[in-house]
Amino acid sequence: MTSNAQVTRLLALVPYLQKVGVADLGETAAFFSVTKKQLLNDLNVLLFCGLPGGFFGDLFEIDQEALETGTIVFSNADFLARPMRFTPDEASSLIVALQAIAEIADTESSAAARSALHKLTATQNSSAQIAVHAQAGTSDLRTALLAAIREKRSVQLTYAAASHTGTTTPIVEPVRILTRDGFGYLQAWSSQRDSWRVYRLDRIFEVAITDEPTCDPGEPPPFDSGWLEQLTDAVEIELEVSAAVGWIGEYYPMRSSERTPDGWIFRMLVADPRWLNGLLLRLGDQVKRVSNPAALASAKQSARETLSAYQVR
Amino acid sequence: MSLPDNLAQMATRKSERLMNLAICLLMARRFLLKKEIRQVLEQYRLLDSEQAFEKMFERDKEELRQMGLPVETGSNDPWNQNEIGYRILRGDFELPPIDFDAAELAVLGVAAQVWDAATQADQTKLALAKLRAAGADPDPGRLAALTPSLDGKEAAFDAMWQAVIARIPVEFGYHEKTRQLQPWSITHRHGAWYVYGLDMEKQQGRVYKLSRVETDVKYIGKPGSYFPETPEKTNLLTLIQPAMADQEAILAIDGDEIPMLRRRGEVVETDSELPPGYTAYRIDYSSDVTFAAEICAHGAAVIVLEPESLRNAVITHLQKFLEVE
Repeated sequence: MTSNAQVTRLLALVPYLQKVGVADLGETAAFFSVTKKQLLNDLNVLLFCGLPGGFFGDLFEIDQEALETGTIVFSNADFLARPMRFTPDEASSLIVALQAIAEIADTESSAAARSALHKLTATQNSSAQIAVHAQAGTSDLRTALLAAIREKRSVQLTYAAASHTGTTTPIVEPVRILTRDGFGYLQAWSSQRDSWRVYRLDRIFEVAITDEPTCDPGEPPPFDSGWLEQLTDAVEIELEVSAAVGWIGEYYPMRSSERTPDGWIFRMLVADPRWLNGLLLRLGDQVKRVSNPAALASAKQSARETLSAYQVR
Repeated sequence: MSLPDNLAQMATRKSERLMNLAICLLMARRFLLKKEIRQVLEQYRLLDSEQAFEKMFERDKEELRQMGLPVETGSNDPWNQNEIGYRILRGDFELPPIDFDAAELAVLGVAAQVWDAATQADQTKLALAKLRAAGADPDPGRLAALTPSLDGKEAAFDAMWQAVIARIPVEFGYHEKTRQLQPWSITHRHGAWYVYGLDMEKQQGRVYKLSRVETDVKYIGKPGSYFPETPEKTNLLTLIQPAMADQEAILAIDGDEIPMLRRRGEVVETDSELPPGYTAYRIDYSSDVTFAAEICAHGAAVIVLEPESLRNAVITHLQKFLEVE
């Protein structure tokens, strides 16, 4: 912990404590993202700070008895009643976080995120040019989903799953909206299947809110980039491709990527053979080797069927 | 006293000194001379020599500036510029009042959770702590169902983020060449970060994908050493978005399959003979080769009717695939 980081924090901590007067030690530590121990250390520094002169009565006052019970009672800081301006790093980090929210929120909250962002930008002399984008369907669709979550209603989705060629119309209990790697998702409980499901927002075509109340399915499992691992029927495939299609390593979650002199070897989890079929057909002759011979044979069979539809061969 | 304890105590003493110096300069109604500052701050007063004080004060003052405190240098007497003093103007230092409504406080309540990248997560929390110190009360409960997240896993991310914010020219390896760039903007799209800026050798705007940066990002200039051009010109989205879809295809699509593709076009009448159950769609696209590969992924569910060049591209793509061992 450098002094600089500590002093930066103290310059915000003093006006905060002055404003609230009485604060909980744990909550304050969380607000300033430090441990309680570090916060106590901060308070120790403040005991010796205050108006120039350093006489008793010039310094900040902290009630030591209250502190022993986990409560901060702070006073004598009228002269430092407002925090410092944002540093460019703080402003940019918060503004970009608000952009990320605006990208996946409902219509009202997106507007609120953008207006908050403008108010923050106005406090800065200059602002860095940073932008974030998510593929997250339309704001009307997200508005319907968030309304259903709020009102605890089931929804019927019209959904184009990657693994199906048409649309499906599952009825699910929506729980939360999130983003991963640039895409927005709905996490929902399916009582039909008795399991948690994840739907990509840009693949949802329609949302119909039903009269069916949700059964309060509880906290969904964490959704991280390893979520494919949770699918029990996923198999590992090793795929060797030429360098020209190395982009798939950035596009799809890979278990490992290995550079070869003229291409890549990827190891990936495949939950649906139809998806792999489509990928192989798309990559065409950039595919060099597939660990599962049946997968290659099946994709070639699709290619032959397609060519016969063009009546060549 | 053990060494770590001693170091910790020194850090504590230093924080105390910097904090008191900051308050002292903030309270100043005029430029304070060095000797005045030394008199009122105990840690300076107790130093043995004038020289030790000078050295410590210069360093402390610079550190306050590094933290973003606007320490001004000047003289109270316009006729005597030798009497240099220091102050911090309250208006330059304090966060101006900002009023947030309930909906804005609800989105600010979500903001603390957005960043997965450690540096930006900490900075966001500090910014929110300042808002709390200014009297705002972000409300994390109201939009609990909304959990966006943003990462910066690329090795080059932190260095490039700092360079864009502080306007520092950089040097890095990319496609086995050394590039020198004034980074103007940074954008997250499709799960990847891109930097856009002026390639200093070519004197042209260029986009680089951070995951493809092959070396450490080296700073090769001072902060603030250039100004990015106007936002319209630096909008790199136009550069990393797909090429303009200026060609038109007629595709036969089986039944209600491939909804993602059908959504991009519209149903049309055609004179061509369609397989039973297929519907014809007109869809805009940009490149025969790229679109052909995309169409091939759907197998026989999508058949190209027009144009001839796209039809041939699909046939060639599939025939070459059949040659894969």
